[in-house]
Amino acid sequence: MKQELKDNLNKLDELSRRQFVARTAKTALGVSILPIAGASSKVLAAGGGKAEHCIFFYMSGGMTHIDTFDPKPGTETGGNTKGLSTGVAGIEIGHHLPGLAARFKDIAVVRSMTQKTGDHRGGSYWMHTSYQPRATIVHPSMGPWAQTLLGKKHETLPDSVVIGGGGNHPGAGFFGPALAPLPIGDAERGVQNSELPNGVSEDQFEKRLDLMNSFDEGFRRKFKTDEVSAYSQFYDETLNLMNSEDLETFKLGNEPDYQKKLQDYGNTRVGKGAMLAKRLVKSGIRFVEVQSGGWDMHNGIDNAMQTTGGALDKALSSLIDDLKAEGLFEKTLIVLGTEFGRTPKINANAGRDHHPRVFSTMFAGGGVNGGQAYGKSDKLGMAVEEDPVDPRDFNATIAHALGLDLNKVVYAPSGRPFLVAGHKRDRETDRVVTEGKPLLQLFS
Amino acid sequence: MNRNKTKNLLATVSILVLSASSAFAEMRDWTSKDGKKLQAEFVGTSGAGNSALVKLKLANGNVVNYPVSKLSELDRVFVKSSLPTDPAALAAEIDKLVLNKLKESYYGLRKDLADLASDTELTNAEKIKRKGEIEREMEMCIPNEMTNDEQFMRRIYLDVAGRIPTYAEAARFLDSRDRNKRAALIDELLETDAFAMRMYNFYSDLLRVREGVEMMGNGDLKVDPYIEWIKQSVKDDKPFDQMVRDMLTAEGHIWDNPATGYILSDSGMRLCNVSNTFTIFLGTEITCAQCHDHPFEQVKQIDFYRMASFMGTTETRAGRGGMMMMNGSNDREELARMSKVLMDAGKLRMNETTDRVIQDIMRSRRSMVNETGSQKVALPHDYKYDNGEPYQKVKPAAYFGDTVNLEKHETPRAAFAEWLTSPGNPRFTVNIVNRLWKLAFGLGQIEPVYNIPGHLDGQAQNYELLTFLESMMQDMDFSVKDFLRVVYNSNTYQRESETLTPTLTQVDNGTYHFPGPVLRRMTAEQLWDSMVTLTTDNPEGMVRRGWEDYRELMHTDTTKLTTLAQIEAYRSKFRTIGRGLSDGETMMMERNAGRIGGEKMVRASEMEQPQRAGHFLRMFGQSDKNLIENQFTSGSSPQVMALLNGSITNKVLTDPEAYLIKEIIYGDGRKGDKVDKIFLSVLGRMPTSDEARRASSGMRPKKDRDMSDRDRQAMEVAAIGDVIWALVNTREFLFVQ
Repeated sequence: MKQELKDNLNKLDELSRRQFVARTAKTALGVSILPIAGASSKVLAAGGGKAEHCIFFYMSGGMTHIDTFDPKPGTETGGNTKGLSTGVAGIEIGHHLPGLAARFKDIAVVRSMTQKTGDHRGGSYWMHTSYQPRATIVHPSMGPWAQTLLGKKHETLPDSVVIGGGGNHPGAGFFGPALAPLPIGDAERGVQNSELPNGVSEDQFEKRLDLMNSFDEGFRRKFKTDEVSAYSQFYDETLNLMNSEDLETFKLGNEPDYQKKLQDYGNTRVGKGAMLAKRLVKSGIRFVEVQSGGWDMHNGIDNAMQTTGGALDKALSSLIDDLKAEGLFEKTLIVLGTEFGRTPKINANAGRDHHPRVFSTMFAGGGVNGGQAYGKSDKLGMAVEEDPVDPRDFNATIAHALGLDLNKVVYAPSGRPFLVAGHKRDRETDRVVTEGKPLLQLFS
Repeated sequence: MNRNKTKNLLATVSILVLSASSAFAEMRDWTSKDGKKLQAEFVGTSGAGNSALVKLKLANGNVVNYPVSKLSELDRVFVKSSLPTDPAALAAEIDKLVLNKLKESYYGLRKDLADLASDTELTNAEKIKRKGEIEREMEMCIPNEMTNDEQFMRRIYLDVAGRIPTYAEAARFLDSRDRNKRAALIDELLETDAFAMRMYNFYSDLLRVREGVEMMGNGDLKVDPYIEWIKQSVKDDKPFDQMVRDMLTAEGHIWDNPATGYILSDSGMRLCNVSNTFTIFLGTEITCAQCHDHPFEQVKQIDFYRMASFMGTTETRAGRGGMMMMNGSNDREELARMSKVLMDAGKLRMNETTDRVIQDIMRSRRSMVNETGSQKVALPHDYKYDNGEPYQKVKPAAYFGDTVNLEKHETPRAAFAEWLTSPGNPRFTVNIVNRLWKLAFGLGQIEPVYNIPGHLDGQAQNYELLTFLESMMQDMDFSVKDFLRVVYNSNTYQRESETLTPTLTQVDNGTYHFPGPVLRRMTAEQLWDSMVTLTTDNPEGMVRRGWEDYRELMHTDTTKLTTLAQIEAYRSKFRTIGRGLSDGETMMMERNAGRIGGEKMVRASEMEQPQRAGHFLRMFGQSDKNLIENQFTSGSSPQVMALLNGSITNKVLTDPEAYLIKEIIYGDGRKGDKVDKIFLSVLGRMPTSDEARRASSGMRPKKDRDMSDRDRQAMEVAAIGDVIWALVNTREFLFVQ
């Protein structure tokens, strides 16, 4: 075996193969972190690490950049979307986003995102994980990365939650199911099965639990395996959760002034998702993803933008106001991402098709300096003109805000090394280092 | 192999034993491996596998036992047909090897314990800790008690049929007085559709069988033929090596050759496919070598590309030829033409110009495995070793096992399939044997199962046992069914589950020697299928609808479809493939087919593959089928909430139409105690007297003048619901004891 490879794998050779396999095969842990030699980069110095929470809005379907954050009014590709002044000289955003235009001093947009694939699933996967899909591994998404690198944030609440997600979310990937984000299908309905079913009273429930425990006594006494105790512990924890105030945080209807807020945020999936995200962040959950569809606008984009774009504008604007009112804005990073942009050329169905070459994303709060646009697309919104940003840089920026170590190597059970924002081999030191670079300009 | 082969052989063997003296009473020359010669009469054999002995009667009348393994090749062949192949004898051999190992390990540990006192390097505290560890391990070297009939029954049903027994099945087995009823039950279950469903779940986790292979770029390719092919292979007991060769060499479209499903699963990801093939069929992880020389195994980056080159001439997309219609028009034109007919009739969505269903059909036509003859695999752009250049093509070659002779085969792929499944491949048999052992015992002889080391000695939990199993599998011509029959007949399998968790050190050092199976949580499918069993008297009654019309549809010359009615009929027929259920006679497309209490209660193997995220099955760990062996059995709060508050435990099981309620508790002519019935149905055992007392309190409301019969019945039903709920929520239910 060549020496540089040994170093490359960060001294894994010090462990025998068997030890290595055992270390990585512990499915219960799912992951092992080996310390790396040398000091890691200091993110705080560069304005990062201020975000304790992150709310990640994922616009599923491919959000049009020209009709949202990168309008091209008056050009042949601009369509019917007009530019709206943001109060910052030289920066306009699409007229479907008046609320965000008014709050632009708190917002930074990135107009030079680019990636390589035009298929929804592949693109979404890359944006969520910094890696392209492979048939041999599933890479973790950002919430589980944060938990792995920083530890669990709250004693009883989950570290990450995905609201309104579909079935294709990479979740915790090779970190294993224990770190998987808690899925909430419908913001209004909260955690699935968390309440007693209709017709079962508290008394009856207690009686059932008594019966369960007495029937199970012999078995539990006999089998003292880790798995059996783990289940008994899950029962205890779940019963505690059902009775605790933690669960209250998932009940959207309990939000003070709910009806008024519903009007502000909008009675839409994204609006309710945003409101729930705020509640969750407030009670200590670190990473909340809100998924929102309707962006695959192959047909009739003007109408679609009015509803989908309008809903997004209300939700984000109210969230910014609400977080500020609660004193959470500075420690909560808001990110908006999507798999790709849409074709500058409007198609025969008055819609736009998939366009991965250039698209836009948005950051706010959590130490981000608002009122700026990073990078540039060309005149017609066809390609990146300045400062290309790929999904790894995008995730590196989120990681930077959260204070994650971009160069921390984590090994999958198969023994392969991975980093939070993608990895490459550094030519000088021959170590595995981060491929994604955070957009430091966004931070103060 | 004929499914009755073992049974037939068993009969043959007993005849042979009886008639041995007459049939074999003649002197012949025997030669040992090292060339020694001997004249003797063949009288019979004893033992099995590696330790089998041949009984030879010398001229002086003395009978000697001689190890079969020391005979010459010719004599071994002569004896082989007389060696016992009956499951009991082979199972006894497993038990012997396991007991030997347990004993050996026990004495070793006892010595360690004795030596501990004189150890000068450890502190007292360390000694106490070490003493505890050794004593714990010693405890795990004592074979567990044999299971009682109730324990055995529940376990064998879960392991072979993939579900708990129905009430009727449980009662029948427990009431039987047949002394051989365990072996008989194993034989019976191995012939059921339930076994095929169970094994399908095992294979589909390994092979990653999923519908709508979107991520891999196959569009909505319908994989029903592949799903059914796997189940049929289990039913036919197709030899495992044959099954693997079929998959690796399959060509054509999935509706013509279902085994193409394997290679289509990694469509467009040739290199990943090669890695996956190694993991699945050789228990070897070579993905690392795609980017650099493997740090631990003797596999270099160039080896990876040499192996990958075997698949380098295989494509999963049809070339131009494959797209052409019979009259020469191509798919794109056909799509446009038919879409226009639909659009003109206002059948497309607003602003749509292409019909999505017809687009899927055309895309499916392009999904096919074919050989192009042109090598697509080359070293990567950043190849940095001295033995090759970036972009260089390399000759297909294997880095271990037999040398491959490419000339002998039509395609490099065929040569690869031959090499991979040949008896000369040191990992092929070990891999499947190890995986099946894990299926039965909850832990492999080698862990992790996807990382079998190059040299097995000292790495396996029990090297002698593993090599015995390996030769047994080869002797059985890779009959998975016969192999499992032996394993399930062993005492080792039929012992009580281990009450302690093997430590990682034990797993790692190979010192867990199977005093009994490891206690396992049911897989998601076992759990779901057990719930199904509580709701219907025939859990295998509802199956996926067949796909007969698929082939016909895909072979249709679409240019003949000109009218709107023809095109609409064509597309709507396509949409029904992979949907609907059948009860064996009638096909059911209705939404409520198989539904009880609002849920579709049909066995997991007959539902969508995999289920949507959030379904009970996925929550409890059904694999998303994206990765090899991606199922899990660890717990979570959402699981517990589903059992406490979800519809299965609160609505489905207690639905008036559910088997347990309708037939067992309130069915006509069903006598007997309700509580006994519930316990037997759910846990496969009778309640203790204390349990019976607790369960029945509330179930028989006192006679009360103010209470109508209806109210009394309602109270009873509620109390029954409480008991069912409580039993399904026990750990005893969730685990395979």
